[in-house]
Amino acid sequence: MNVMQAQMDDLGPDLAACARGDRNGLKRIFDGEAGRLIAIAERIVRRRDLAEEVVQEAFLRIWTSAHQYTPERGSARGWITAIVRNRALNLLRDGKREDLVADDRLEALLDTDQFEKIMASWHRLDQDSRLRDCLGALDETKRRGILMAYVGGYSHGEIAGRLRVPLGTTKSWIRRGLTALRECMA
Amino acid sequence: MRHDRKDLPEIADEYVLGLLEPSAQAEVEAAMERDAALRAAVAASRERFLPLDTAVEPAAVDEGLWGRIEAALPTAPAIPAGRSVSAGSSPSSNDNRPRAWRATALSALAASLLLAVGLAWSLTRTVEPLVIAVLLNETGEAQAVVEDFGNDTAKVRLLNEFAVPADKTIQVWTLPSREMGPVSLGLVRGSQSAVLQAPALPRPRRDQLYELTLEQAGGSPTGRPTGPILAKGFARRPL
Repeated sequence: MNVMQAQMDDLGPDLAACARGDRNGLKRIFDGEAGRLIAIAERIVRRRDLAEEVVQEAFLRIWTSAHQYTPERGSARGWITAIVRNRALNLLRDGKREDLVADDRLEALLDTDQFEKIMASWHRLDQDSRLRDCLGALDETKRRGILMAYVGGYSHGEIAGRLRVPLGTTKSWIRRGLTALRECMA
Repeated sequence: MRHDRKDLPEIADEYVLGLLEPSAQAEVEAAMERDAALRAAVAASRERFLPLDTAVEPAAVDEGLWGRIEAALPTAPAIPAGRSVSAGSSPSSNDNRPRAWRATALSALAASLLLAVGLAWSLTRTVEPLVIAVLLNETGEAQAVVEDFGNDTAKVRLLNEFAVPADKTIQVWTLPSREMGPVSLGLVRGSQSAVLQAPALPRPRRDQLYELTLEQAGGSPTGRPTGPILAKGFARRPL
């Protein structure tokens, strides 16, 4: 973890407070992070009410699991974010996305908007961000695939369909893209 | 999941991106708990991608959201171990009173994580259980996993060392229906995981209750649970 990340990781003490049963710790995390966490969930589940549901469940889990957090598991912010991401992805897998993209036209509309949001997440990275540079060094298709998966919660199959690439090819592109990204950021 | 150690960063990345199949995802979550190298790889992957999340434009937060979260929080997170479940009522009462177990019910999220462990475990078996229950103690910590195969066989795997006095034994129970009442699935020797040859019972169903109690050696003399509840949980069907 570099110095900047370490400075950003100010949530460890709040998680420790949660583990002690101090609700103020959870409230501080909520006050500082809820808006960001809702936005992260909404990029995946694509509906505000579902995103709030995800964040509500995630906060209960943060509360009950806080004692399991150790710095060995990464930054506290990363750990909290991962809980929200996992809840959102599980909601998709439970099939709720089908409810909200019931017909093709609606899906197309959502996708255009969604696609812009996903690419914006890359452009919003700090100019001097390593991740920004390394994503920029990838072929466009690999970059899109990785961003669609991470930011939008798309599965291999959904990415293949939207990029109009065979499934096997999509999987190997993404795998190679991820390897290149790891090497670039090492 | 059989994989090469050198593949750990790749698996970690695909896990973090949410690209794994649900069964593989569950296996990674289970393996992470015992594999420090995998845990480190997942942590590194999360940190690599985290800037995409920290850079997001925050959404407006609904005013009522915190209130809803706070209302759903379990009360006192740490209930002293060994406290009588039915304090204040008759000493032999073992009727699963809701109040003492409310915290447990609200720990369903913790249970679902542990359910992943149970699933990963079951994935390595050729015979699939009909239901799996993660049993939690009063404070919501997972204590055991019961797999019920429905063919008069159940497996119980303990996730915690229980201090079992020499003249006591752990007994496994289920509640097939209110009418039948609790039925013993068998005894756990010492504090070992066990395969139980249970009596013929109705096919286990979702939300069926399973629990462990501490009984006198040889099992409950009444055929009903009499001792303190060590852990309990509700069944889920594996996918």
